[in-house]
Amino acid sequence: MITARLEPSDSQLDSLLGRASPLVKLGISLAWLVGLAITLEPRPPLALATIAFAAGITVGGIRPRILLGAVAPLWLAAVGIGTFNALFSVSNVDPAAAELLRLGPIRLTIEGVTNGVALALRVVAIGCVGAVFALTTDPTRLTDSLVQQGRMPARFAYGALAAYGAIPRFGEDLATLRQARRIRGLGGSWHPRLLVGLLVLAIRHGDRMALSMDARAFGSGPRTRYREVRWQLLDLALAVVSAVLLAAALWLGVAR
Amino acid sequence: MTTTFDSPVLSAGPDTRWRTRDIVIAAVIGVAFGVVFWAWGVIWNGPLEVALAFAPPLKDLGYAVWLVPAVLAPLIIRKPGAALFAEMVAAGVSAFLGSVWGVDTLLSGFVQGAAAELVFAFALYRSWAFPVLAMAAVASAAAAWIHDWALYYADAALEIQVVRGVAMAISAVVIVAGGSLALHRSLKRAGVLEGFPD
Amino acid sequence: MSFDLEPGSALLVVGPSGSGKSTLALALAGLIPNEIPATVSGQLALDGREIRELGPVGVAARVGLVLQDPSAQLVMDRVEDDVAFGLENRAWAPSAMRDRVPDALAGVGLGGLERRRSRRLSGGQQQRLALAGALAPRPGLLILDEPTANLDPGGTAALMAALTELHGSRTTTIVLIEHRVDQAWPLADLILALDADGQQLDAGPPAAVAARSGARMAAAGTWLPTALERELAGSRPLTESAAGSLGAGGPSGSDGTSRPGTPIRGAEVVRATDLRFAFELGRPVVRDVSLAATEGERIALVGANGSGKSTLGRLLVGLLRPDRGTVTLDGADPARLAAADLARRAGYVFQDPERQFLAERVEDEVTLGLTPAEVARVPELMSRLSLPLDRFGERSPYRLSGGEQRRLSLACILIRRPRVLVLDEPTFGQDRNGYTSLLEILREHLDQGACLIAATHDERFVRDVADRAIELDEGWVFSDGPVDQWAPAVSGATGEPAAPAESARS
Ligand SMILES: Nc1ncnc2c1ncn2[C@@H]1O[C@H](COP(=O)(O)OP(=O)(O)OP(=O)(O)O)[C@@H](O)[C@H]1O
Ligand SMILES: Nc1ncnc2c1ncn2[C@@H]1O[C@H](COP(=O)(O)OP(=O)(O)OP(=O)(O)O)[C@@H](O)[C@H]1O
Ligand SMILES: [Mg+2]
Ligand SMILES: [Mg+2]
Repeated sequence: MITARLEPSDSQLDSLLGRASPLVKLGISLAWLVGLAITLEPRPPLALATIAFAAGITVGGIRPRILLGAVAPLWLAAVGIGTFNALFSVSNVDPAAAELLRLGPIRLTIEGVTNGVALALRVVAIGCVGAVFALTTDPTRLTDSLVQQGRMPARFAYGALAAYGAIPRFGEDLATLRQARRIRGLGGSWHPRLLVGLLVLAIRHGDRMALSMDARAFGSGPRTRYREVRWQLLDLALAVVSAVLLAAALWLGVAR
Repeated sequence: MTTTFDSPVLSAGPDTRWRTRDIVIAAVIGVAFGVVFWAWGVIWNGPLEVALAFAPPLKDLGYAVWLVPAVLAPLIIRKPGAALFAEMVAAGVSAFLGSVWGVDTLLSGFVQGAAAELVFAFALYRSWAFPVLAMAAVASAAAAWIHDWALYYADAALEIQVVRGVAMAISAVVIVAGGSLALHRSLKRAGVLEGFPD
Repeated sequence: MSFDLEPGSALLVVGPSGSGKSTLALALAGLIPNEIPATVSGQLALDGREIRELGPVGVAARVGLVLQDPSAQLVMDRVEDDVAFGLENRAWAPSAMRDRVPDALAGVGLGGLERRRSRRLSGGQQQRLALAGALAPRPGLLILDEPTANLDPGGTAALMAALTELHGSRTTTIVLIEHRVDQAWPLADLILALDADGQQLDAGPPAAVAARSGARMAAAGTWLPTALERELAGSRPLTESAAGSLGAGGPSGSDGTSRPGTPIRGAEVVRATDLRFAFELGRPVVRDVSLAATEGERIALVGANGSGKSTLGRLLVGLLRPDRGTVTLDGADPARLAAADLARRAGYVFQDPERQFLAERVEDEVTLGLTPAEVARVPELMSRLSLPLDRFGERSPYRLSGGEQRRLSLACILIRRPRVLVLDEPTFGQDRNGYTSLLEILREHLDQGACLIAATHDERFVRDVADRAIELDEGWVFSDGPVDQWAPAVSGATGEPAAPAESARS
C-alpha cells in the first residue's frame, strides 16, 4: 500500500494534473481548504469532494480503484467527526432548536445533525483533495518546485527529500530488529524498545547520507539546476478553473 | 612543523549554523515520525474511533503523538527552526503517504511546529530542561486545539472543547515532553548523538 | 604516518580491522574535523594546501568519496538526478551537466539506466552509481573505503574495471581501502600498510613493500595477494595466526585452501520444500526452493546480489514465513516456535550488523538473553575475536569499526552454539586474524555436529569451509552440489541489470 504511494505510476505523473506545477496544486489545495473552513453548509464540501474525485480519475490519470483505496479510510473518520459534532453540538442545549431525537440524557437537534453532516463532508472533501494531490505529484518535482518557484531554502528541501527516500528502509529496519529479537530468544514482538532501535538506525542512516552529501559539496555555495520547473500556461488555467469551481461551490452554500 | 588543534568546540551560546548533518537528522526524525503519524492515523480513525465512539475526548489522550517531532528534533539538534522544520516534514510525509486530513496536515504541522518553536525562542534556545519542553509541548497542543476547533469541531459546545483541551495538554506533557526526554536519553546512551550538544 | 601522492597515481591502504583506515578516509575527504568533531594533529595537505584551511567547500570541490554501504549514498530517486546532485552543488552549467551525466554513467557501465529508480538497482549497480556520482565532477582525488565489501564477484569485477580504466587515464588520484587485495594490488602504484595501532608499518611501491614487510604485514593481520601469501608460506613458516584456514585439524595441512576434516554426517536438521516468498505482490525473490541439510554439513549459499540468499536464510530459520511451501527445523515449523525455543535450536547472523544490535553497550549486547553458563564463556570468545571485554565491553556497538561490528554480531550468535547456524556474509570486512579466528571457532563448533549454512560472496571462505555449494539465481536454485564441482559464475560481470523490469520514464 505504501509502495503505491511512494512510487506514483507513469499515468498519474504524465497526466494533466501530474504535469502542472506542484506548487500551484499545493496553493489550490490550500485555497480550497480555506474555502471549506468558512462554510458550514453540506453542499459545498459535497461538490468539492465530487469535483476532486472526478478530476483525479480523469485529468489526474488515477485508476478509480487506486483512488477509492486511497480515500477508503476517510469514511470512518468522517462518520466519527460527524457523530462527535452532532452529539456535542451547541444547539443540543439550546431549547429553541428543533428536537430530532431524545435518548435519555442525550438530545439531538436538527441543526446539530445538519452541522455534523456538513463537517463530515468537509473531512471527505479535504481527504479527496489531499489524495489527488499526493497521487499526481512526484516528490522530486515537488521539491524542485518548492525551491525554484516557492523560494524554499534548497538545503532544507533536498535534505528532507533525501530523508523521504529512506522510508522503505525504515520498514526493513523494523522487520530486521524484530527478527533480531526473536532469534536471540526475546519474546514480545512489539516491544517499546523497538522505537529507540528504529530511531538509532534512522539517525545512523542519516549520518551516512549527510556524509555522502557533504562529500558531494552539498550546501557549499550557489547551486544550479539539472531539472527546471517552469511556469506553464497549464498552471494559470488550472488556477483559474479551480478558483471558479471553488466560488461556485461556495455559492451553492449560500443560495437558497 | 606539526600543528595540533581541536575541532571547533561547541561554544556556550547556541550555534545557529545548520550543518548538513543537522538538516538531515532533523529531516530523518521528521520522516520517521511522518510514518508514525500515518500509522497512528490509521489506528486513530479505525480501531480507536470505534472503541471510543461514546467517549471521544478519551481519544485525545493520545493526541500528542502528532506533536513529538516538534520537541524531539530541537532537543537533539538545538538549532533555531528545528521544531518547525521537523514537524512540517513529518506532516508533509504523512499527508503524502495518505492522511485523512490531506493538505490540512501541512497547516496543522505548521501551527503545531511554530507554537513549539516560539517557546524555544523565548528560552533563547538555551534551556532544554523539562519545564521548557513541557511548555513547548503544551503550546503546540494549544495551537492544534484551536486549529481543530475551527476546522473539525466548529459546532461542538464549549464544555466539550475544554475537556478536549485538557486531555490534549495532559497528553502533550506526558507523551511529548516526557517521551522526548526519555528517547533523547536512550539515543545518547546508544552513542549515536556524538557531535550534538548535550 | 606520512606519505606523498603523485597526481594520477593510486594508493592502496591496507591494515588490520580497527587500525583507522576509515578514519583516515574521512580525514582525507575533509569531513574530519570539519564536519565530524574529533581531535586531529598533524598536517594534511591537498594540492599543497592544508585541508583545514580549505574548509569543507574547498575540499569537497577536489575530492570524491565512495563508502561501503551503497544504499546510504543515494540521495535522489532517479539515477541521473543522483549523478547530477554533486554537479548542481558545484554550480555546473545546466548544459555541461547534461553532457556529463550520461558520460559518467557510461564510464561505470550504467549507460542507459538514467531514468531508473536508484533504490531499485542491485547492490553492485548502486555502488557503481555512487562511483559515477563521485566521479562526475572530475575530482582530483577519489577515496574509496571498502567499496566492494557488499558486492558479488561480478559487481566487484565491474567496479574494479571502472577503476582500472580511470587509473589508466591518470586524471584522478585514487586512494583505495580494501581488505581483500587480489584485485586491488595490481592497480596500486603505492601501498600504505598500517599496523593494529594505526601506525604506519611501511609505505612504498607494491613490490618493495611486499619484499620488505610482507611477513610483518601478514603477522599484523593484513591480507596479501594470494600468490604472495603462497610464496611467503612456502619460504618460511608464518606466524600461527597467519597460516590461515581451519586446516590445522584437517588432513591436508595449512596451505590456506584446506577444509575441515571429513564432516560427520548425521540426522537431517533442516528441510525446505517448494519454498516461495515475495516481499511485494508479483515479485517473488525465492522461487520453488527445496533443500535438506544434515548435521555436520557446511553449505555455502552463493549467487549474485539480489538473488535471494539472505531471504532464503531467514526463511530457513523461521524469521520469515514462506508464501508457499514448508520449512522444518528439527521436525518443527520454525516460524511457529516460541522465540526462546527457536533461539536454542538455530542461530542467524544478519548481513548488516548494525541492524541487529539491541543494546547500548558491547557487553550487554553479547550477553543479551544468555544463560549463566553461556555468559561464562563470553570473555574468552570475545578475546578470540579481538574484542576483549576490558577494552570493548563499555563501548557502544554503533561506534565500532565495520569489521569490529561484524565480529560482535557473530559473537552474539556463536556464543550460543546453536545446532543450526545460518550466517549472512560472515567474513566481510575481516582482516586475516579475524578470518582465522572465525574459522577456528567455527571448526570447533561444527566438529560437534552443528550444521552451517552461510550466504557469502567470499570465494575463499567457500573453499575453506563449505563442503556443499548452493547457487541461487533470481530466487531459483541454479546449482547444488559438492564444492569441488562448483565453478564460481562470473554472471553479472558485464553489469547487466539484475533488477526486475521497471518502466523507464522519460
Ligand atoms: N565514532 C567513533 N567513536 C569512537 N571510536 C571510533 C568511532 N568509530 C570508530 N572508532 C574506533 O576507531 C578505531 C579505528 O576505526 P576505523 O573505522 O577507522 O577502522 P578501520 O581500519 O576502518 O577498520 P575496519 O577494517 O574494521 O573497517 C577503531 O578502534 C574503532 O573502534
Ligand atoms: N525488506 C524487503 N522489502 C522488499 N524487497 C526486498 C526486501 N529485502 C530484500 N528485497 C529484495 O529481494 C531480493 C532478494 O534480496 P536478498 O537480500 O535476499 O538478496 P541477496 O542474495 O542476499 O543479495 P546480496 O548479495 O546483495 O546480499 C532483492 O531484489 C531485494 O531488493
Ligand atoms: Mg573501515
Ligand atoms: Mg544478502
